[in-house]
Order: sequence, then structure tokens, then C-alpha cells
Amino acid sequence: MSEPIARRQSLTDYRISASKCSVCGSVYFPPKSFCNNEGRASKMIKHDYLYEKGDFYSGSVIVASTNKFKYLSPYLSCIVEFKDGFRIPGRITDHTPSETADIGKYINRPIIPRFRRLYADGEDGLVYYSSMNFSFADEYYPYQEYTVLPPSKEIEKPGIVGYGAYIPKYRIKNEGDGAAGVKERTLPYADEDTTTFSVEAGKRALIHAALDSSYIKKVHVGTESPTYAVKPIMATVTQVLELGEKFEDGFFSGGVDTQFACKAATDMFIDACALVNYPQFGGEYAMIIGSDNSQAAPGDALDYTVGAGATAYIFGRRDVIATLDYYVSYTSDTPDFYRREHEKYPRHGGRFTGEPAYFKHVKTCMKACLEKSGFTPKDIQYVICHSPNAQFPTRAATEIGFNKDQIEPGLVGQKIGNLYSGSCPTSLAAVLDVAFPGDKILMTSYGSGAGSDSYIFTVTPKIEEKRNRIIPMREQIENPYREYVDYAFYRKMKESA
Amino acid sequence: MTANQVKPIAAIVGAGRTKFGELWYDDPERLLFDAGLSCMESVDKGIHRNQLEACFFGSFLYQATNKMGLVPGHMSKELGLNVPITMTEAACASGGSAIYSACLALRSGQYDTVLVGGFEKMTDRSNKISDDLMFAADPSEFGAGFTFPGLYATMMSRYIYDYSEGKQECEDALAMVSSKNHHHAIKNDFAQFRREFTPEAVKKSSLVAYPIRLLHCSPVSDGAAALILTVPEKASMYTDTPIYIISSQLATHDVSIYTRESITSIKTTKLASTAAFKETGLSYKDIQIAEVHDCFTIEEAMFLEDSGYYKKGEAWKGIYESYEANKGLKHVPYVNGQNELIVNPGGGLKADGHPVGATGVRQVYEAWAQLRGQAGGQQVEEKLDTALCHNIGGTGAICTVHILRR
Repeated sequence: MSEPIARRQSLTDYRISASKCSVCGSVYFPPKSFCNNEGRASKMIKHDYLYEKGDFYSGSVIVASTNKFKYLSPYLSCIVEFKDGFRIPGRITDHTPSETADIGKYINRPIIPRFRRLYADGEDGLVYYSSMNFSFADEYYPYQEYTVLPPSKEIEKPGIVGYGAYIPKYRIKNEGDGAAGVKERTLPYADEDTTTFSVEAGKRALIHAALDSSYIKKVHVGTESPTYAVKPIMATVTQVLELGEKFEDGFFSGGVDTQFACKAATDMFIDACALVNYPQFGGEYAMIIGSDNSQAAPGDALDYTVGAGATAYIFGRRDVIATLDYYVSYTSDTPDFYRREHEKYPRHGGRFTGEPAYFKHVKTCMKACLEKSGFTPKDIQYVICHSPNAQFPTRAATEIGFNKDQIEPGLVGQKIGNLYSGSCPTSLAAVLDVAFPGDKILMTSYGSGAGSDSYIFTVTPKIEEKRNRIIPMREQIENPYREYVDYAFYRKMKESA
Repeated sequence: MTANQVKPIAAIVGAGRTKFGELWYDDPERLLFDAGLSCMESVDKGIHRNQLEACFFGSFLYQATNKMGLVPGHMSKELGLNVPITMTEAACASGGSAIYSACLALRSGQYDTVLVGGFEKMTDRSNKISDDLMFAADPSEFGAGFTFPGLYATMMSRYIYDYSEGKQECEDALAMVSSKNHHHAIKNDFAQFRREFTPEAVKKSSLVAYPIRLLHCSPVSDGAAALILTVPEKASMYTDTPIYIISSQLATHDVSIYTRESITSIKTTKLASTAAFKETGLSYKDIQIAEVHDCFTIEEAMFLEDSGYYKKGEAWKGIYESYEANKGLKHVPYVNGQNELIVNPGGGLKADGHPVGATGVRQVYEAWAQLRGQAGGQQVEEKLDTALCHNIGGTGAICTVHILRR
């Protein structure tokens, strides 16, 4: 492929954009300006199938694939039929079929579009994506409708309006008691990466907020495993989810990818709240995504704690489910963990990452935030600390005076691993899943290099109204369709992504 | 009406081909030249290059496989001619399309004598050929991870789902197509494969795109074939036994299978064969042999239904019963009541080989040789009058049908 072809394909393939004849109902993909049956008099209506559900019409187990797709074979390619009879070709993802799978058993199974990688042009070329990849609706990834509701007229204190967490289907177990408390971890399928995680999380946040995507005027993606050294993930997220007002084939919205080790996303929470308060912004909502396919050198201690996934937050001032009440940030030039340009894996200072790095920053920040708010640990229902493993956050929070009941709900790292930039945002999602109106949440992130952000949120009654639109972290972690793999498979997936 | 009463469009006065297979030492233009030369030498009363007024060539992937373009210039150099040469690209139907174009030119009265050729060189870039063949599919199908066998396997899966009635015999029948075609090629000196395979061996061969296995697929091949066509009135200048083309039809449809109403039949086969029968006033009952585009065995089964020989969804039953009743015969016919149709008497694409751009021309070569009683070891023993050639491009986006008679 080439750059211009990639651009043209993104306009049709990212959202499965088709055109439908208003007279005879025929649907065309890629979209056409006139209907073959009705001629040029036909009025063609644009219709996207990104949020729709289709059925497996027929397919084949591709064993001898084209060179571009060798990294995935064997896999199922298929024809997908949507309810209006419209069909497109697709590939089934998150699924390794038996090479002699009975195709008849797949026919008519409902399937859901997934934004996934197709292939890359070598190590230095473009990476191509599409939403014409599908997973089974009766499997790991449940179908959710995207219904847009009008925002309430009431303007409140800024905070979280909606959130969406996404963790992949695949898991690897650590032996015995785990690695520093991490018992099992998520890993990407070979066609997943930080970009696809970001899109998934953003999509779920939009569904949760029931918000018109054009209202979101800014999106920041915090990550330390970007797909490209230069080319923002936020632009792909914007294009797929259509964030901001559409003009021609682009959008009136902005954003950047941010980098500060594991606090690249949480650092932007305060900025998002400030932004939605700023009249010149010209919008009312901002999205922050923490996303990582956390990297570690094979055999390194971190190789037993890293996970993969993303969580997205929409900040605004209407229909807020948790207000952002207090904020403190603390920074120093502490070289505990780093990755030089062109290097594949990060390096770290071993035990130096503990006391002078993680604990110093997290605890200082937490204390300062409590002081600023005037709260004591007893006033807080849930406490979250960045989870490079399960031991560090537990120790840090305990030393400040929190107990197990306050710590446990956010301690998802022991089951999903360290999501780097996605760690704190995902822990916060797990807590919001179970929090009640009035609950206070203290979250403290940590990014090597080094710094921490502490936030205190207060949950509002609006959280109850939106609860039926969330896929709770607990359900995701315990999803019966999760699949455990061995270390060789894990490394292969990790390297592919 | 009988075939003899149909007014011919063109006369085939010469035909030639190369062996099909892995021809490591030949350039594509050399293959075409060799086929052309054997074609010239087959003309009973002789012909000189200077009597050729135009050339119509067909090929698919030469630009990708051999970084070669402007075939007219290459062939002008090879032939030492400066006549109009046109090039047709229609994937696997490039050869059939070149014949169609030549017939149009003869019908128009523009020329009296023309050379038609088809060629393909697939083994020069065999590590990339699966990707390159997808040029003949929709880009979204490539993006969905499909291969050509995968697309046909998708059609085959749906065919089995819709019509097998849950019976294993359906899949057996789709293996028998391959066994039958391999059996037909045993005595074909030009064929790429001259080996018998039982249906069980087909069903146990290595997986390509389930339910398609290696022995359901036509091979990757090099080769070329050529014909000399004249207006019927001039045929006697060259031979006393010309073979006449009495119908030449071409139909097109969507390049993609996902946009088609049905993926268990090929619309272009229906359109082109219906038009050919209409043009000649014949029906399938008048055809004794058919060169059918069996790129994958499911395609031969679909042809048997799309041409009207068997009812929709029942070809597999006809194939199964015919094979069981006639296996062991030199040629295994498809039986339908009183009718018997021998399909691919020289082995078809499956066993003779499938250098894609050459195939459509090779099919007419085979029918020409069979109708003249010059097909050598694979000559059909029954008296033959009429043959049909069916050439498909892509997954059915284009189809040519030519009907030939003595």
C-alpha cells in the first residue's frame, strides 16, 4: 500500500462507511454516489456499520495465507451479513480456529466489528488498520449499542462524564504467588496494539457517556508504547470515533499523545478539567486515554508483571459521575526507568525504582493531596496507587494509613498486570464500577523519570444512571471466554503487536 | 437446430501450446513465441507470418511477475511483425477475452486472419504469487486476509451448508472432480501433472484454505497457448478440417464476492452460457465435451449448475453418481438422464495446469484437437461434433463462453 491509498482506505474501512439508496435500499461499500438500480436520480444516504452487529455468512480457514497475513495464520476470513442484507468481507479476530473447523457451525453466528491492525509495511513502513475485523458476539467481547442522549442542561463542577476500559482476551499466569503479587496478566492478540486499545477504550467511553462524539474537542492519548515514534495515536482515535465536528474528511478537534512513563494519561486529567472550564476552548468535553502494550525485555523482572490494555475518560461539566475536587502533582528528575530512542525495551535501576522513586513520589503526593483537602484516610472510601505490581501500591497506601477494604477494589493489577499508562486509569475504572454516590476516591499515579499526580474525586448520583452501559472490570477480568496462553505464545503476541 | 447448421463466426485453422508446468528456463515472451510457432506449424496447408493481420494476446500478472510491460512491443520484436497487437488483461479469463476480442475483429470484417495467444509466468515470483493473484479480487477481500483459495472456499462452505443436506457425499463429490480431472490427464503429454489421485487422497491432501485442500486447487504454472483464427470463408486456404467458433460470449459482474446476491453460483457463467445457447440455438444436450474452468473443484460443480446441465444444488449428486458409475473409464462423463457430458478431457486446469493468461486459449486448443481427433492419448473415443469452452476470471467477475463445432 502507500500513504495516499492508506488515507483513502481509512475513510471507508475505519467505520465501515457505506451508502444506502433511499429508494430501493441497496447498500454499497465502498460508498457510491448513485444506485445501480435507481441511477443518478437516487438519493444516497451515508451509513456507518461500526456500531452494528452482523452475522457470519460464510468463510474459510486460511491456512496458506498471503505474505502480509502470515503472522496471523491460521485464521478465519469470512463474509459478514448485516441485518439489512448488506455484506462485507471480514476477518475473525481473537480466535484461532482448528485448521479443519466445520464452517457450517460458524454460519449465522453474530459478530461485532473490531478496530484492528491488518498488517504493517515492514519495520519502517505504515501500519494499516480497519474495523472490518470481527469477534463473536457470544464470546469474549459483548455487543453494546451506542445510543446518544441529549446532555443535561445543568452545568456542574468538572469531572468524569463517562469512561470505558478495555483489556484483551488473552492472559498468561505467573507461577505460585505471582511476581510481586501479580498473578496473571493480559496480553494483546497479534493484531492489537496501543492504537487499537485506545480506540476500543474510547468507543466504550462514548457508549458509557451516551455522548455525541462530535462534542469532544480534545483527545490526549498517554502511552509509552506508541505505534509510531512520530505519528499520533490520537489522530487515529479521532478519525475512527469521529471526535469533534466533522468538516470534509477531518474534524474540528485537537489533542496530542503524551509521554511521561506510566503517568502520561493521569497528568492530563487536570488539564482536561481546566480545558472544559475555559471559555475559549469552544467545546465542553475532552477525552483522556491511558493505553499501553507494556514493554519489557524478555526475561527481565518486568517481563512477569507487564500487561496490556487501555482506559478512556471523558471529562466535562454536564452529567458528571465523579467531580474532580483536589489535585496535587509532584516532580523530580529521578532516573529510575527509561528507554532511549530506537531502543525496543526500557531499562531500569532495579531496587532504585522503589524507595527513592516510586514510594517517595507516590507518598509525598498522596500526603500533600490529603493535606490540601483536609481529609484523612477515614474520609476516603477508595484509594488507588499506580500498580507496577501488587505489592508497591498496597505498601504505599498502607503506610499512609489506608486499610485493605479501601485498597483492594482498585488493585486490579494483580489480575491484569501493569498497564503502564493505563494502570491508574484502569484501577479507577474498577473502583467507579462499584462506587456509590458520595464516595470519595483518592488516586495517585506514578511515572518514572519521575512524578506523581494525586486526585480526589467525589462520586455523584449520575453514576447510577449510566451503570447499565458499562462493562465492569470485574466482568472483564473474570470473563469466562478469557484464554490462557504459554510464555512462547505470549512473547510472540507481544512482539507482533 | 444442429450445430452444423449454425453460421460460424470464425474458423480455427491452427492451434499450438507449450507444456504447462515449472518452466524455469523460459521468459514469458519466449513461451508465447514457442506456442505461436507450434500453432503456425499446425496449419495443414501452411501459413506465413506475413499473412497475420493482427494479434490478440491475453495475460494477467506479467507486470508483477516479470516487471514487464508493453507486450505488443515485445511480441513485435519476437514475431518480426509490425501489425496491430492488442493486449487483454482479465485475470484468469485473459485468454478467453483475447479470443473474444479476436472474434469481434473478425465479425467486424476488419481482418481475415489473426493470431491469438495467452501466456503466464507464475513461477518466477512464486513466493509472492498468492499476494499477486489477489490483484483479481476486491482490495477489501485482501484486507480481510483472503486468498484466492480462501474466496472459493467461502463459496464452497456456503454451497455445502445450503445444498449438501448434511451428507458427506457432497464433499466426496467435490474431491471426485479432482480425481476425474487427474485421471483425464494421464495421457496428456503437455500436462503439468500426470498422476492419479483417489478422492480419499484429495480429502487428505495438505490444507490451503479449509475446506479447500491442495488437491482441490489448480496449480501455479508457466505456459502459453496460441490459435490462428480466420474468417470462415478463408479457412479452406489453410486447412480442409477447420474447427468453427459458432458462439463467442463474454459477461461481467462484481469483482467482489461479498456484493453478489449469491455466492453459490456464478452469474457471469449463467449470462455467457445463456447468450451462447441463444446465439446458436443449441442447448447443453448438444454439447459432448466441455472445457470448464476448474480452478477449484467447486467452480466445476457451479458450472454444471449455472450452465443448466444440473439443477441448482444438485451438481454434487450428479458428480457423485457419475463418478461412482463410470470411474475406470478412459473418460468419466457426467450423466444426466440420457445425456453424457465429458468435462475437461485433457485434465482441465487442475491437472493440465493453470498458467492463468494461457488457460482460456489452451481450452480452445484442447477442444480444437479433440474435435479434429488429434488429441493424442487423451482423445475422447466417442464421435465429437460440438464443444464448449468456459473461462472464468477472478472469482467469476468475468466469464467467456465459446462454442466450437467441426
